[in-house]
Amino acid sequence: MNDKLYKAILFIAAMVMPIVCGGVVYALVTDAHSAFEHFGFLRFLTSSEWSYTEGAEQYGALPFITGTLMTTALALVFCIPFSLPVALFVGEYFKGTKVASVLGTVTDLLAGIPSIIYGLWGFYTLRPLIMALGISSQGSGILTASVVLAIMIVPYAASLSAEFIKMVPNDLKEGAYSLGATRAEVIRKVVYPVAGSGIFSSYVLAIGRALGETMTVTMLIGNTNNIPESITSTGNSMASIIANQFGEASDLRFSSLIAIGLVLFLITAIINMIGKMMIKRARIS
Amino acid sequence: MTHLKTKHRLATDKAMLWMVCLFAALTAVPLLAILGEVLLRGYDQLSWSFFTEPTPTAYRAMKAIEAGDPIPGGIANGIIGTMIMLGMAAIVAVPTGILCGAFLAENPKRRFSQTVSYLTDLLQGTPSVIIGIVTYVWIVVPMRGYSAIAGSVALFIMMLPLVIRSTEETLKILPTSLKEAGLALGSNRARVMLKVQLPAAFGGIFTGVLLAISRVIGETAPLMFTALGCSFIRFAIDKPISAVPLLIWEFFNDPNLQELIWGASLFLLLFVLILNLTAKYLAKKWNQ
Amino acid sequence: MKKIFQSVMTLVIAIAMTACGGNTNKENGREPQELSGAGATFPLPFYNVVFEQFGQMKGDFVAYGGIGSGGGVRNLKDKIVDFAGSDAFLSDKEMAEIKIPVIHVPTCMGAVVLAYNLEGVESLNLSGDVIADIFAGEIKMWNDARLVALNPDVTLPEEAIIPVFRSDGSGTTFVFTDYLTKVSPMWKEKYGTGKSVNFPVGQAAKGNPGVAGVIAQTKNAIGYVGSEYAFAQKIPYAQIANQRGELVKPTAASISAAASGEIPADTRCSITNSDAEGAYPISTFTWMIIYKEQCYAGRSKEQAMATLDLLKYILSDEAQTITSEVHYAPLPSKAKELSMKNLKTVTYEGVAVWQ
Repeated sequence: MNDKLYKAILFIAAMVMPIVCGGVVYALVTDAHSAFEHFGFLRFLTSSEWSYTEGAEQYGALPFITGTLMTTALALVFCIPFSLPVALFVGEYFKGTKVASVLGTVTDLLAGIPSIIYGLWGFYTLRPLIMALGISSQGSGILTASVVLAIMIVPYAASLSAEFIKMVPNDLKEGAYSLGATRAEVIRKVVYPVAGSGIFSSYVLAIGRALGETMTVTMLIGNTNNIPESITSTGNSMASIIANQFGEASDLRFSSLIAIGLVLFLITAIINMIGKMMIKRARIS
Repeated sequence: MTHLKTKHRLATDKAMLWMVCLFAALTAVPLLAILGEVLLRGYDQLSWSFFTEPTPTAYRAMKAIEAGDPIPGGIANGIIGTMIMLGMAAIVAVPTGILCGAFLAENPKRRFSQTVSYLTDLLQGTPSVIIGIVTYVWIVVPMRGYSAIAGSVALFIMMLPLVIRSTEETLKILPTSLKEAGLALGSNRARVMLKVQLPAAFGGIFTGVLLAISRVIGETAPLMFTALGCSFIRFAIDKPISAVPLLIWEFFNDPNLQELIWGASLFLLLFVLILNLTAKYLAKKWNQ
Repeated sequence: MKKIFQSVMTLVIAIAMTACGGNTNKENGREPQELSGAGATFPLPFYNVVFEQFGQMKGDFVAYGGIGSGGGVRNLKDKIVDFAGSDAFLSDKEMAEIKIPVIHVPTCMGAVVLAYNLEGVESLNLSGDVIADIFAGEIKMWNDARLVALNPDVTLPEEAIIPVFRSDGSGTTFVFTDYLTKVSPMWKEKYGTGKSVNFPVGQAAKGNPGVAGVIAQTKNAIGYVGSEYAFAQKIPYAQIANQRGELVKPTAASISAAASGEIPADTRCSITNSDAEGAYPISTFTWMIIYKEQCYAGRSKEQAMATLDLLKYILSDEAQTITSEVHYAPLPSKAKELSMKNLKTVTYEGVAVWQ
């Protein structure tokens, strides 16, 4: 095989990527077009009406955008108290030990569990628990979905944060120890300032994952098309409204669901891009 | 005074250590809880017929429940569907991904590589439900029907960025001397890549492929809009087909079949976890 | 070892048999066909049995996806199925949108029941306006005065009512809201009739099975499901006051009673809130919808014949007797006669298929 042919083959393989991505964007944009045209881009995003009454159809994405943002934000809040200790455990306290590698395996396995199984666990174990505790009478809702989402993103946030914590130069830490600092102080005064931007970026990427999570949320959020009033209310996320209604929608509703898909695609793309850029910068510094 | 302060500082230090250990240990709880629940509720369903028979109809299941018998049938249709779709997706995604990864590793500075690299990240972060609706628009509508082909296209799109990334990263960490030695011996770049670099990177790429498979095998949302599901054992690739996660979703939604959820989940979970552990073990072994 | 060998052999044989779609049966004057349909989950248990028996008789293979009536109709519009299953007949507007004429064939009758999960409550009486107010969120508690008045012999708990409804487009929702629209002016004005309606309170689940599952899992819940699914889950369901004020349980007899009135020639009619004696008020036909001209999307004439054979079989006495076994009700003879007449008008490239 000569060099020219070899290069051509590699180039063609690489071209698959722009083609696939272009196709994804093209499909979303063309099919979302009629919804945006009918309702207007901004009105589609800010209208909270999702009504299929024949002849007076009204589709707006606001309830689902709200649902997605609420579940994601709440999941992040629940995720931090667990992922940060895991990262410190693996990356600082027990760096390189057997216990750390066991915990690393545990988080890897957590990341590997399919989302539908998380959903089942949430539905059959967590939901009755939430009902029994009297937090909400129907058990499903933003809160239930967020708790399970939080468990799902802990591994992503933790393993990436640990990587940055590990990279903090030893001489910096030793300098602080020699001045009599305790480990907690070293973490606060040395590790955190150095690894902070990297840790932050790992949470940005974890948000990226939580935004688009579908099955778990669909099974736990309650699937109602309203703006959730509180964290125990039922609602729908952008991904779950698509999962619920895409199979049967036609015409304007079909287009509106694709439009929601496009909005979700753009939001995750932006969040992921920010996260990746921050990581690159954190790695260089 | 300073003594008190030191005492306080030491106490904080100790408290922090304990908190870190406690919360880190708590993270293992969901894993154990999920594994435990699926194991306890699912293990007695795993039998030979569970893997060889297709899903029963809701009616047959209902009759069995009324008679107090165990629900007949199994998940063979799902296992076969999953294998067919994964197989088709992998056959295309693995070579394409490796070649694309090789391109990125060979031309790290080119503008085009940076674009491709960015797009790989973009696709990797795209929610799977969106891959599902796009595949519906691309494949299902023009083909006039749900099919195994459509399902495998969706899985292909999800596998591709994972294979590209693992190939690129493995090739990049190979010592440059390896490539230079090959080139110095007069081999052309294609030969060096095929005979030297790729074999040396085999371990990393293989691990990457295993992880990619374990990532997409449990995907449900994209298959709902593409493969649809089917309660018979079928091998036709242009017709609707089932998959294990799709079956779990069906069982979840059908009170007559709910008993079967746990067996199917146990099978899927064990499959995914074993793939993960194998990948981790191989990665460690090949790294040494 | 021997046992394993035997199981492997049965597996191989089973696969071989499924792979070639049964034996080639030439009695019909055609090769066995693969038919595909999609739509309502409501009649799914009935269809499962019928398709299996039809397959054994004719060698044809029928795949049916329970994706909801709305989805079935969309698939028919997209021409990716041979027939759509729907609990809601197409409105004149929908018929106009499809452009090509379609035929509605009723397949059986069923009821939408109000299934509930109330500890210690074995029987519950409801009336149309009370149901409407529960699902509109106006009656919030189980011990509401109006519920207590309907159920003098039952102690209702002081708990919030959790209404459960469908998250997907559904003929069951259509039938249910069609009934509410007829009995409650408030419902008619605020929510109306449709395959999907914006219920203001409660929680949603996918498919009839999903709703039944959530009710079974949730205390103090009430929801509307196809009767079969409440039976399957052994969830109790309410007696409902009909137009004459009689409290009626859904049974084959009370469902059939609802269809004793007039049926139009194309069989598109709603039989909810029937004024017949002993009629269960939320009863419905469920339909299969096919194109009148069967030559579309590259379908063969044999496929058209198989589709017709299937529908003829469903209308036969043999298939209709299955209905009550699976908790549905058989079609009245009037509906069968009309459907047979309609099926004779089905064509392939302009030529009648049924000769």
